[in-house]
Amino acid sequence: MEVLQNDKILKVAIDAEIYPEVVLLKCLYWYSNTFEVDVRKSSTSQYEISLKAIRHPDKVDWAIILLKLKQDLIDFKLRQHITDETKTIRELIIAKAFIYYDQQEGPVSEITDPVGFNPQSVKV
Amino acid sequence: MITVDSSPYSNSRKFKEFSHYIASPQRYYLLPFKFHRLSPGKEVIVNEIGDLLVIPMGTTGRIVAGEINPDNISDQELFADLIANFFISVTPLPELIEVLATRYRTKKSFLDYFTSLHIFVISLRCEHTCHYCQVSRVTSDKNKYDMKRFHIDAGIAIMMKSPNPHVTMEFQGGEALLAFESIVYAVEKTKIEAEKHNKKVTYVICTNLALLTDEMIQFFFNNGILISTSLDGPAFIHNRNRHKPHASSHQLVVEGIERCRQRLGEEGISALVTTTALSLEHPEEIVDEYVRLGFHNIFLRPISPYGFATRSTDKNKYETARFLDFYKKALARIIQYNLDGYFIREDYASIILKKMLTPFPVGYVDLQSPAGLVNNVVVFNYDGAIYASDEARMLAEMNDLTFKLGTLGEDTYEEIFYGNKVSTLSEVMINEALPGCSECAFQSYCGADPVFNHTTQGDLVGHRPTSAFCERNMEIIRYLILTMDEDKKKEKIFRSWITGKS
Repeated sequence: MEVLQNDKILKVAIDAEIYPEVVLLKCLYWYSNTFEVDVRKSSTSQYEISLKAIRHPDKVDWAIILLKLKQDLIDFKLRQHITDETKTIRELIIAKAFIYYDQQEGPVSEITDPVGFNPQSVKV
Repeated sequence: MITVDSSPYSNSRKFKEFSHYIASPQRYYLLPFKFHRLSPGKEVIVNEIGDLLVIPMGTTGRIVAGEINPDNISDQELFADLIANFFISVTPLPELIEVLATRYRTKKSFLDYFTSLHIFVISLRCEHTCHYCQVSRVTSDKNKYDMKRFHIDAGIAIMMKSPNPHVTMEFQGGEALLAFESIVYAVEKTKIEAEKHNKKVTYVICTNLALLTDEMIQFFFNNGILISTSLDGPAFIHNRNRHKPHASSHQLVVEGIERCRQRLGEEGISALVTTTALSLEHPEEIVDEYVRLGFHNIFLRPISPYGFATRSTDKNKYETARFLDFYKKALARIIQYNLDGYFIREDYASIILKKMLTPFPVGYVDLQSPAGLVNNVVVFNYDGAIYASDEARMLAEMNDLTFKLGTLGEDTYEEIFYGNKVSTLSEVMINEALPGCSECAFQSYCGADPVFNHTTQGDLVGHRPTSAFCERNMEIIRYLILTMDEDKKKEKIFRSWITGKS
């Protein structure tokens, strides 16, 4: 991660293989309240992002911002990993939740009760 | 290695013995969940159905990297928690996926019956001149500002068409009791219609109680009507917020609360706080006043950015940070009362805690996804206009009709509830699909509020980084989780708020 910084602007070169566009955009969205955010693809394998303070540029502590940015990028990459890996199971849960007219089948797993008795042995 | 109990009952336990998981392949599979940094040393993970686990910082990274090893003694408890709480599964398709799906459906079950709350703005007239008042008019012109009978009839007819077998008819103002005769008419008519349509109706009147008479109280008693009033704190706050010419509004409301309690019982009347710039300086005094008056709940609401309120910038525009500071101080006071043996709960926290700690949804319009507007609430204005929520009609008083759904007596039920306007709105009513919300760990505790977005940002989708709604809820939710994690006594108090048992 290459960093170029002056008093008014922070520019960071990001490896596109490590941080894909979707991760960058989701992360930088949260910087758009205080910074003018620019993302451009500087080469096939690299993005260049720049942050420019919207208000009071002289009061920005860029070292803190850079630290937070690095942390947030890792967090959003983790989030994306979970989202991608669990996409199918999530869709399955929601689909199953809202199927109204499916024939109700017996539960696949054994019917047991946490307090210890076997409900199948109970005569009604 | 954990020793497994070999009692004869162990075979019928819901969760299998630990050895079952240890004997399984080391590989595990992620289930859908989200995470958020709580504090420098802690993070929280929340799964698709709102179950949460507070874990040491960096643990999410280890979970995702597949590093949680049940053979490692320090990971055994975490591994068991992750399995039991549906964060990971030892099989690609969890055995209990049906349970997950059922719990997801339960969380969304507030959608099952569609609109329940029907607000009738029975009159726009009021005898108070509150500086933050959003809509009211001080006038004696009943003809212009009271709801007409044919509009009341049309509103009742729509309410009876709701698929919901249990509806709430809420009378608001202005000051609703200025149109008491119309309320009597509406209740009597509804009783007849409800019998025909086999509906159970809960009646609520929102009033400042200044005009309360014995005849009114008897009517409330006879019809099981609940009273919702406003109490902003001790007299010096309440009277400043709620100015009534030549009278003490505080004295009137306190007397009114007592009279209602005597006839309707403690449960027959509730009070709400509206916080203003003045209130923000006195969190403890407001809580103390509720306790002094014998209340066992208090609802700390921020002032809404609608209607006349937005015009009084000096008095009403306060930063979210100030509200949060106020909220935390008031919450600390409330918790202290509970620790000292006096049960009192904060309602906003209770709504969020119920979402966190129980499998059930909460019917609170502002914190729902899909949003509560239309799905849970509809408003019939005094002039016959129909709005998607109470805030939407306040917006209409600023000549913004974005959320107007139709007109009583002119539009059919289908045109109102299934028309193009609602169809368009429904695209921005789901926080699972909103930017910023879609990745948020607190998604299942929060909601979508397109009316707030539109009002404050001029955009139905909204911009989360600058949203006061987002900032406020994120911090309150984070604070509640952290408080429970850090102090088990406080967690016990929070749990008592959702069970009602002290």
